Amino acid sequence: MKELIRVENVTKQFAGHKALDDVSLTIPEGGVYGLLGPNGAGKTTLIRIINRITAPDSGRVWFDGHPLAATDVPNIGYLPEERGLYKTMKVGEQALYFAQLKGLSRAEATRRLKQWFVKFGIESWWNKKVSELSKGMAQKVQFIVTVLHEPRLLIFDEPFSGFDPINANLLKQEIMALKEKGATVIFSTHNMSSVEEVCDHITLINKSKNILSGSLDEIRRSHGGNIFEVDFRGSAEELKGALASAPCTILDSSASDDEALQGAKPAGLKLHIPHDEDVRHIVELINNNTQLRSFHEVIPSMNDIFIRAVAGEL
Amino acid sequence: MGKIGIIAGREFNERVRKKSFIFTTILMPICLVAIMFIPALMMNISSDEKKEVLVVDQSGLVGDRLQDDSTLTFTLSDQTAEEVVGQQHEGLFGILIVGSDVLTNPSNVQLLTYESSTINIESSIAGQISTILESEKLKEYNIEDIDTILAAIKTNVSLKVKQLDATSGDTKESSSVLNIALAYIFGFLIYMFVFLYGNMVMQGVIEEKSNKVMEVMVSSVRPFELMMGKILGIASVAVTQFVIWVIFILLVGGGAVSLLGLSDVVASAGAGVDPAAIAAAAPIDLDSEMVAIIATLTDPAYLLRILGGFLIYFIGGYLLYAAMFAAVGSAVDNEKDTNNLQLPITLPLMVALFVMLNAMQDPHGPLAFWCSMIPFTSPIVMMVRLPYGVPGWELALSIGLLVVTFVGMVYLAGRIYRVGVFMYGKKPSFKELAKWIRYR
Repeated sequence: MKELIRVENVTKQFAGHKALDDVSLTIPEGGVYGLLGPNGAGKTTLIRIINRITAPDSGRVWFDGHPLAATDVPNIGYLPEERGLYKTMKVGEQALYFAQLKGLSRAEATRRLKQWFVKFGIESWWNKKVSELSKGMAQKVQFIVTVLHEPRLLIFDEPFSGFDPINANLLKQEIMALKEKGATVIFSTHNMSSVEEVCDHITLINKSKNILSGSLDEIRRSHGGNIFEVDFRGSAEELKGALASAPCTILDSSASDDEALQGAKPAGLKLHIPHDEDVRHIVELINNNTQLRSFHEVIPSMNDIFIRAVAGEL
Repeated sequence: MGKIGIIAGREFNERVRKKSFIFTTILMPICLVAIMFIPALMMNISSDEKKEVLVVDQSGLVGDRLQDDSTLTFTLSDQTAEEVVGQQHEGLFGILIVGSDVLTNPSNVQLLTYESSTINIESSIAGQISTILESEKLKEYNIEDIDTILAAIKTNVSLKVKQLDATSGDTKESSSVLNIALAYIFGFLIYMFVFLYGNMVMQGVIEEKSNKVMEVMVSSVRPFELMMGKILGIASVAVTQFVIWVIFILLVGGGAVSLLGLSDVVASAGAGVDPAAIAAAAPIDLDSEMVAIIATLTDPAYLLRILGGFLIYFIGGYLLYAAMFAAVGSAVDNEKDTNNLQLPITLPLMVALFVMLNAMQDPHGPLAFWCSMIPFTSPIVMMVRLPYGVPGWELALSIGLLVVTFVGMVYLAGRIYRVGVFMYGKKPSFKELAKWIRYR
């Protein structure tokens, strides 16, 4: 996969504390890259270095195969966590102003803005002052301003904070649409459910260090605890007996024997099967003793992985 | 440069469209006119109300010769001092008691007042008594026709001042009153503009920082462009305001000239006609001072020197100070924290203001000279010296130094700004700012 950004051994020191300590990561082109980490981990500092707002003390950043330079900055769109708009300016005028600063002509900016305003159903805001908008409304405007010049790299810092579920969903769709069009998105957040929905790759930064990096699927699979969930009809007791001698541990069972026998609803069982054991043998055992309805590995949520990683359990 | 233009354009539009800009632009000249005319009006009002002074004259020389003037009326009392003081008096300002030996002992005069007196009243009364006593003493020499002689020798000198050009020998009408007035107005205007508009830059930077607009703009604009755009945008607001004022003054001035029927006078003064002829041609009485003022104000070279000088020194001084204001604004989180950082800005400005007052008395003295060379004070001090005429080399040196300094200051401020706008929650010291300059 082609890489768009490569961060090599970047260290950044502020008076008294290290914001980034020897961080390296590679962001592939096209896709959504999650930059995760607890508050104060160094995410924003890394974003600022990629944005060339600050320079690293040591280490290098590459953009599309060459060292990141000032001329690359127009190819980046950045939605900061702290939303910033002039409060007394009108929405339309302000959006035009930012668009022109990003190098769009006035006419082109007006055309694109009208499209976006229609798409978001906010045409009536054009002549409103920003101070009349709610936080969520202002964020919509800010989002439009960020993506308007169609940059190759988009950086969203906590884009969903302050949005209701409907608008958060709208925004998610737009981010996915941008990805379809070939944009690379860096998505900084600590909202893990949104990470599972939109990210292809992630990096987890904690205490200024990169502690986990890779494709989201691989990470979740590799951090599964070898736990399998079984749904079946039949006697749970019988199954437990049959599995007693098998190389696995029964963790818990969700239904009582009576219910399962009556077939009212399938019974569930969680098994821990050690990594090197043959799963087929166990499935065979279950299948012989019950009506097996499903058998699948439990993939841990990003939330679990995040909490365990930050706690140092991984 | 294009982006700086877009930013400056926004700053200009936002500010010029504000109600406060329209108000100050219109109200300022009106206020200035009011400031000039209200004291004159006030004096007229107060003169209607005369203060009554009861005079007890024990010498018999002074009492009946005291003249009422615009503020005082004198009433001679035939009672003794003790009686008068012991009585109740309605609406009386005071009692003047002149001792019997006042001719030989001039300090034997008392003014007892019911309300606080003023220097004007005191000097008016003392002056009258002195004149009376002086003429009384003159009479003792028994000179014939002393009154006619005294009346005949009374003289009022009106000085006609012309400035002599050392090389060509040409003379030019010159008015010290006008020079002082212009020096004061323009010097103060620069002080005010630099301070007001510099502060506007600082507030704008603080607003951008606290609104986090800065964060949004960094992916499209360099901090330096943002700073320069803001400074230049606000400068154009100031120049616009100034131009509006100049047009306003020209209109009012032109209106006054035609209203008083002075158009011919102005035309001939502009054409360099002899001042005496001008004064004679005027439909209203003009003393030589007025003629000199009109002649000076219609001299294009003079106006160009003053207005051109104003624009150059305003823009230079403004750029120098606005860069410093921008650096301070970028370093703090809110306006409350600006106080100690503003000291190096306000101090030289205050010094310049004090030197300005001195330079009006002595425009070519060493203090005025040096302060009109030092870039931090030169915009104000040189403005004061300009109406009096300044040698070309001094002007060139002063402007050159100013340009070099503001370029350097803009560079330094840009270094501080670039770091400062992303620093939150820190109350910076000068040491900290010096460190920021050296940051990569």
